[in-house]
Amino acid sequence: MGEVRRWARRPVTRRDLLRGTGAVALGATLSPLAMERIRAAAAQATPTRNIAGTELKLLQWSHFVPRYDAWFDAFAKAWGDANGVAVTVDHINTADVPAAIAAEISAGEGHDLIEHIVPAAQYGPSMLDLRDVVDEATKRHGPQADVARLNSYNPTTDTFFAFCHGYAPDPANYRKDLWTEAGLPDGPKTYDELRTGGKQIRDATGIQLGIGMSNEVDSNMAAQAMMWAFGGSVQDENENVVINSPENIAAVEYMAGLFTDAMTPEVFGWNAASNNQLMIAGRASYILNSISAYRTAQKDQPETAAGIYFGSPLVGPGGPERALAHGHAVFNYMVPNHSQYQDTAKEFLLYLTSAYDQATSESELYNFPAFPSTVPNLVEEGGPLDVDPFGSDPVDKLAVLKTAESWTRNLGWPGPANAAIGEVFGTFVLPTMMARVARGEQTAQESIAQAESETTAIFDRWRAEGLIGGGQ
Amino acid sequence: MSAGTARAGLPVTVEDQGEDRGRYLLDREGLLGPLLLLPAIAYIAALVGFPLVLAIAYSFSDVIVADQSIDWVGLDNFRAVVKTPNFQNALRNTFLFTIVSQVIVLVMANALAMVLAADFRGKRLVRFLTLLPWTTPIALAVLGWLWLLDNVYSPVDWLLREAGLLGPGTWLGPMGNVYWLSEPSKAQLVVLFVHIWRTLPLATVILLAGLTAIPQDVRDAANVDGAGFWRQLVYIRIPLLLPIMAVAVLFGMVFTFTDMTVVYVLTRGNSDTHVLASLAYFTGVESGSLAQGAAIALFLFPALVGIAVLMLRLARRTETN
Repeated sequence: MGEVRRWARRPVTRRDLLRGTGAVALGATLSPLAMERIRAAAAQATPTRNIAGTELKLLQWSHFVPRYDAWFDAFAKAWGDANGVAVTVDHINTADVPAAIAAEISAGEGHDLIEHIVPAAQYGPSMLDLRDVVDEATKRHGPQADVARLNSYNPTTDTFFAFCHGYAPDPANYRKDLWTEAGLPDGPKTYDELRTGGKQIRDATGIQLGIGMSNEVDSNMAAQAMMWAFGGSVQDENENVVINSPENIAAVEYMAGLFTDAMTPEVFGWNAASNNQLMIAGRASYILNSISAYRTAQKDQPETAAGIYFGSPLVGPGGPERALAHGHAVFNYMVPNHSQYQDTAKEFLLYLTSAYDQATSESELYNFPAFPSTVPNLVEEGGPLDVDPFGSDPVDKLAVLKTAESWTRNLGWPGPANAAIGEVFGTFVLPTMMARVARGEQTAQESIAQAESETTAIFDRWRAEGLIGGGQ
Repeated sequence: MSAGTARAGLPVTVEDQGEDRGRYLLDREGLLGPLLLLPAIAYIAALVGFPLVLAIAYSFSDVIVADQSIDWVGLDNFRAVVKTPNFQNALRNTFLFTIVSQVIVLVMANALAMVLAADFRGKRLVRFLTLLPWTTPIALAVLGWLWLLDNVYSPVDWLLREAGLLGPGTWLGPMGNVYWLSEPSKAQLVVLFVHIWRTLPLATVILLAGLTAIPQDVRDAANVDGAGFWRQLVYIRIPLLLPIMAVAVLFGMVFTFTDMTVVYVLTRGNSDTHVLASLAYFTGVESGSLAQGAAIALFLFPALVGIAVLMLRLARRTETN
């Protein structure tokens, strides 16, 4: 109470004013129903640890669906108010998160919870093992989805370097009008159809396929999915490098052919937003992406959005069981060892998990739950994926995502999401490998041999750090 | 007045004696010099020396972002990085961008400085516009170029299309875009161009200052002797400007050699455009391999030491002259 009185006597500062107007603005962007759900959930929160009087500073990526951030800030604040915790949420561009983490680790201070959308096992030694949170959440909500668990667990150190609360599926986005003209009204189902249909569309309309071969995360995921579909991978189950395989050579050759037949050189210079922009501009017939581009188009370009449909991962020579995709984003929270309020951070994670129906709904179905039981109606008949509450026409446009958990895999599958595969992605070995062949600079064999040399060096180094297994 | 003596007509107090002693101490060059230098030395030691020593220590160790305890590994990191094609490309690009851009800057800055030294209507406006790229924050300026050269919405491409230079049956080819940042040769040219664009103003201003410092009587004498433009340029302006030209080039070299913003914002290393600084960042910070990142960055060190030595020699020679 003393704190409350002191606050009441204190004159209003510029900071208070900014906070107040910020809160009003925030409230204005949320519907009354959303605010009511936030308040109701906060009132029901039952922390098992004594966290009153503590602080919680969160650093997280700026969500691709802006509405989620508005909801999250109010959600976290309401929980803090209900439990006597001073909550601060800082949002930064996802590309800036690694530098922020590195700086905070070096300084030995900073935020109590850091969210990153790719598994960051390389930071494991500086992060708290969150096994107890995973266990408690499992006890409360049932099993965690494999894609979430494997994206946050390091089997070599037997630690959970992060707590994964959700993921975003990575379906195909295609233009139905163009693919109908190409004789495939439901979009391509196989890589062969993608190439023949994509070529037909580009020849007829000049509109290209949009699969990147650039230093950005979507290109990484596209390259990895293609290698999986052709029967290959970067590492095996035991974290040994197996990139130099006939299957991967075939995948690289296919990509080079796909480029020649159906794409333009712009895919070599993309950033993570480029394929979204191309689709929204009406200049792509097919991209691999989450539903965020579609949601943006629904608001800004409704006519374009009306023509965008979704498909599951394509079947390649590896067969239907290898028609897989990465989680487009994997929502991993990490608690740095230097956090002074680790219990508070853990309690918040459990609270967020328990209210995940709100997260899924406020992200406009972008966030899929790591604990499926927390959003029970998501994949049920007649659920939001069958009847999109955010204005899809037809209403079941997102129904293909109902099976997303079955075809979404962790970074580095069939091995774990380890630090080495993180660096392979971080230094863009795979899209560069594809690009060299597509540009005619190397043969597939030469390019894969170079990628193997780079990948092996990376794996050896992280193995020497004791953070990954394999190497026998 | 020596220490301890009284001011006229006033008795000597204890305070006066203390004040005089203080004055005496501050009059000693041996004390005052180091005292005045101390803040600068402390600043350099803290913000340049310490990070440099740390980078050297990191490059000979196995530190990662998440575990910064140092275990020595000798030259392993250097051996590992020099073998990689990425590093070799980055090394080549670093020297290529620096040398080529500064040669071009030198020529253009000389020409521009002579134009700006002449009297003409609107000279102040032209000078202001010339200096503008240097005053714009580099990240913001490069972002501007990124948008101008965008793969889909590039206004430059639009202008080329409207001018009939781009598109089917045109000089620049059948595609609707140039794809400036998507092909290695074009992307490298763009990086080079942006470096020239941003370092040209500084070099111009430095050379302009040098030009205006050439004594009028020397120019008058040359005119009386009938020396034309080229003769004056070769025998008077260039020799007299040479020291200041060297300063301009050395500054430009340091800025270009150590820059990672241009590559980071424009291409993120796509299309073989990595330079040592950007590769060090991606390896050390983005991927967490701090030791290898430090090893890559340290390859900048010998070249920068060379440049620093040249600059110091130049400064000394100018001082002597």
